[in-house]
Amino acid sequence: MSGSLEAVRPAGPLQGLRTWWTMLKICLEERLVYRGDFALGTLMRFLPIVTQVFLWTAVFGATSRGDIAGYTRNDIVAYYLLTMLTRAFSSMPGLAAGIARSVRDGSVKKFLIQPVDYVSFLLAARVAHKLVYYAVAAIPFALVFFVCRSYFPPVPDATTIAAFLLSLALSFLLGFFMEVTLGMLGFWFMEVSSIVFGYMLVQYLLSGHMFPIDLLKGTPTGIAGVSLADVVHWLPFEYTAYFSSAVWLGKVKGAQLVSSLAIEAGWVVVMAVACRVAWWRGTRRYSAFGG
Amino acid sequence: MARYFAIFLTFARACLVRDMTFRANFILECLTSLGWMSMNLAFYLLVFTFTSEIGKGTGWSKEPFFAFVATGLIINSVVQAFFMPSAEELTEMVRTGGLDAVLVQPLDAQFLLSMHRVDFSALANGAVGVGLLAWAMARMDHAPPALAWLLYPLLLLCGVAILYGLVIMLAAATILMGRNQSLYDFWFYITNFSRYPAEIYSGPWGGPLRMICTFVIPILLVVNVPARVIAQPFTGELWIGVACAVIAAAVALVVSRLVFQRALARYRSASS
Amino acid sequence: MHNTDPAAAAPVAEPVIRVEGLAKEYRVYDKPEGLAASVRALFHRTSRVVEAVKGVDLTVGRGEFVALLGPNGAGKTTLLKLLSGIITPTRGTASVLGHVPWERADDFRRRFALVMGQRNQLWWDLPAAESFRLHQEIYRIEPARFEKTRDELVDLLGVRKLILQPVRELSLGERMKLELVAALLHEPEVLFLDEPTIGLDVVAQHTIHEFLRDVQRRRRMTVVLTTHYMKDVAALCERVVVITRGDILYDGSLAEIVDRFTTHKIVTLDFDEAPDRSVIERFGFPCEFRGPQVVLRIDRSRIADVLPGILGSAGVRDVSVEDVPLEEIVAELFRSDARAAAVAEASR
Repeated sequence: MSGSLEAVRPAGPLQGLRTWWTMLKICLEERLVYRGDFALGTLMRFLPIVTQVFLWTAVFGATSRGDIAGYTRNDIVAYYLLTMLTRAFSSMPGLAAGIARSVRDGSVKKFLIQPVDYVSFLLAARVAHKLVYYAVAAIPFALVFFVCRSYFPPVPDATTIAAFLLSLALSFLLGFFMEVTLGMLGFWFMEVSSIVFGYMLVQYLLSGHMFPIDLLKGTPTGIAGVSLADVVHWLPFEYTAYFSSAVWLGKVKGAQLVSSLAIEAGWVVVMAVACRVAWWRGTRRYSAFGG
Repeated sequence: MARYFAIFLTFARACLVRDMTFRANFILECLTSLGWMSMNLAFYLLVFTFTSEIGKGTGWSKEPFFAFVATGLIINSVVQAFFMPSAEELTEMVRTGGLDAVLVQPLDAQFLLSMHRVDFSALANGAVGVGLLAWAMARMDHAPPALAWLLYPLLLLCGVAILYGLVIMLAAATILMGRNQSLYDFWFYITNFSRYPAEIYSGPWGGPLRMICTFVIPILLVVNVPARVIAQPFTGELWIGVACAVIAAAVALVVSRLVFQRALARYRSASS
Repeated sequence: MHNTDPAAAAPVAEPVIRVEGLAKEYRVYDKPEGLAASVRALFHRTSRVVEAVKGVDLTVGRGEFVALLGPNGAGKTTLLKLLSGIITPTRGTASVLGHVPWERADDFRRRFALVMGQRNQLWWDLPAAESFRLHQEIYRIEPARFEKTRDELVDLLGVRKLILQPVRELSLGERMKLELVAALLHEPEVLFLDEPTIGLDVVAQHTIHEFLRDVQRRRRMTVVLTTHYMKDVAALCERVVVITRGDILYDGSLAEIVDRFTTHKIVTLDFDEAPDRSVIERFGFPCEFRGPQVVLRIDRSRIADVLPGILGSAGVRDVSVEDVPLEEIVAELFRSDARAAAVAEASR
């Protein structure tokens, strides 16, 4: 979908708004065509969590402890549900691959010629895409969260909620810039897919998708006093899934919360700059080779 | 019949030649599946740092659990290598009219549509599974009787048969609906329930779920029965499981074939 | 509904294909347009029944070469799919080589072949030679016979150097030729062809026409070919079955279509110089003025009376009287049928 938004060149704010509204409608229609799919598909995405819930219940049942790394059984269920939400913000399906492909088949050329900034264009497209997704997925999500409300701790205070929302926005940008930078590697490498695959693997393990990163607190790294969790804390990966969920659940508080948000914001800046630089160097190289 | 086997060999040989021609891609595919699998193994190791058993009193401590995982790897890799690739192509075939060509040939359509393509890279996981099984069995304190070792391959085949039946049912659905959701997604969601020992499904919700996944869509019989036979102390009770698995395999094969034939009879064919 | 003209129908000695009252209906779901309709569609979908084939009768004898001619969506491909057993009918019976096609008996499937234009049946990943071997296994062709037939066909079509290349690397024309070879390896008694020359260049079309004519004659195959090209029909068949919107409009020889469906002839007059329009229009026939040339459409029954008068007009240098071209007759047939359908639809 993002590749076909040729007409998105706001000639004025009103025109831009109108174009966005049309795009939104088309996206929605497109989704609704696969109606059976769509409703069922969103709910089915929650199915794997059912298995995880039973697994963790069995794990807790066999130990005598009340919590693992600060998480009770209910906390873990709530955590998995929350990561469905946080990943809905930070995951960018097909973004890196799409960029690499447009470099390979030359369609990126038009952004070298036209006065449209490629990265901004991609960002606009992704925002539209996400908005449509949220609009349509809101009901299934709300349904599931309502049904499972007993697993959640009481709603946190306003500061925590604000921090949560901020971290969500940052994780969207972080996920976006990371994938765009990866896609830009297409200017240098033919087969970006292997690199993207490696990234996906690391993400899968370290983003908190599979388990709360706190569980790594007991894993040693060979350096005295530093656990694996501490190392991962400084990497960008945990901020795409784990961090926001942990914030909502109250696992990150006070000074730690502030410093973590700072690290997250820092990574957003780093990746934004990285993709800018990659674009600049990449297009220079690209034109030099005649495309 | 020998004829069918000869035809299958021709297909398999062609796929092998193709894989060896695009060797880099083949290796990449192997590494991909190995990659995801190792992430999951790392997760299991992590879980075992917090507990010594999955489920109280179930007997699924570390080594038996990894024997369970290994069994799952072996069965799933066989299905992914020999049956899934053809089934996944079915959507395309329905769309382009390739299915028409199959229906016109004097050969069993189900055979052709489920076995004309082999994905050898999927066997990588199976190979690791065998290694993992050897490791787990060596470190376990109980040694299974010779009988268990005889039953194990048979039960692996039953597991493959049950999953094959499932693949065919999904393929029949594809033919009837002319496709929406990717076959692979449904596959993933349904088989996801069989990733862990059936004992984890207990309680007011778990009990019924366990019943459904054992007697209605018997995916819990696929890995659990062979894994238990080989990794848990061999008791008389296990024979019930063995019987269930064998019956489920037979039923799966028969029912799926009937459904598939019905689907073919109602095939609409893309308009021209 | 027009049907078979008994005088024009070919005499059937041993009917190889017999079809009675065959009909196929589909339920088609309406696609929603616009956002509001899409939401409504989530809860309730409207549908209608499409009659692709409406109770058709047909008989084809051994060795006949029949063309099913019709515009797109006429139902000719559906009819072919019914005859080859790919789909089951809603009503009616059919018998091909003594079998009910949709029962898909192996004995039946071994005796016929189906080739569909632009849709390949050869296995893409294999070179054609491997596909042929696979065919040998599947159809249980005796090795010596297989090799002889294969070599014969491959040489006839001149594709020997192509059979070792993977099929997906070949052009459409080359693939089509290989498909034909594969289809004839098991020496079928009946050959179904669905738009075999579609998308091919003139040379390839010609080669395939020649090949089909030759092979059909030699092996006395019964061939049913669907097409919307008059060229295929003219080159290959004596018998034409015209199908539109699921009905057979005409079943008989090509030559008789002209007699049956045209009421006029085309008279072309060449003048020394562009004539006075009113002089020609006075005769009351539709005319087209192209400089010094005038083209008139004159009722056949009136030609004998009218022509002398027209020829008597001053300045006529040359005249020709021709039948309406086949393409035009057939196109007009389709158009008028479509018009009748629209009228029926509107009055409903």
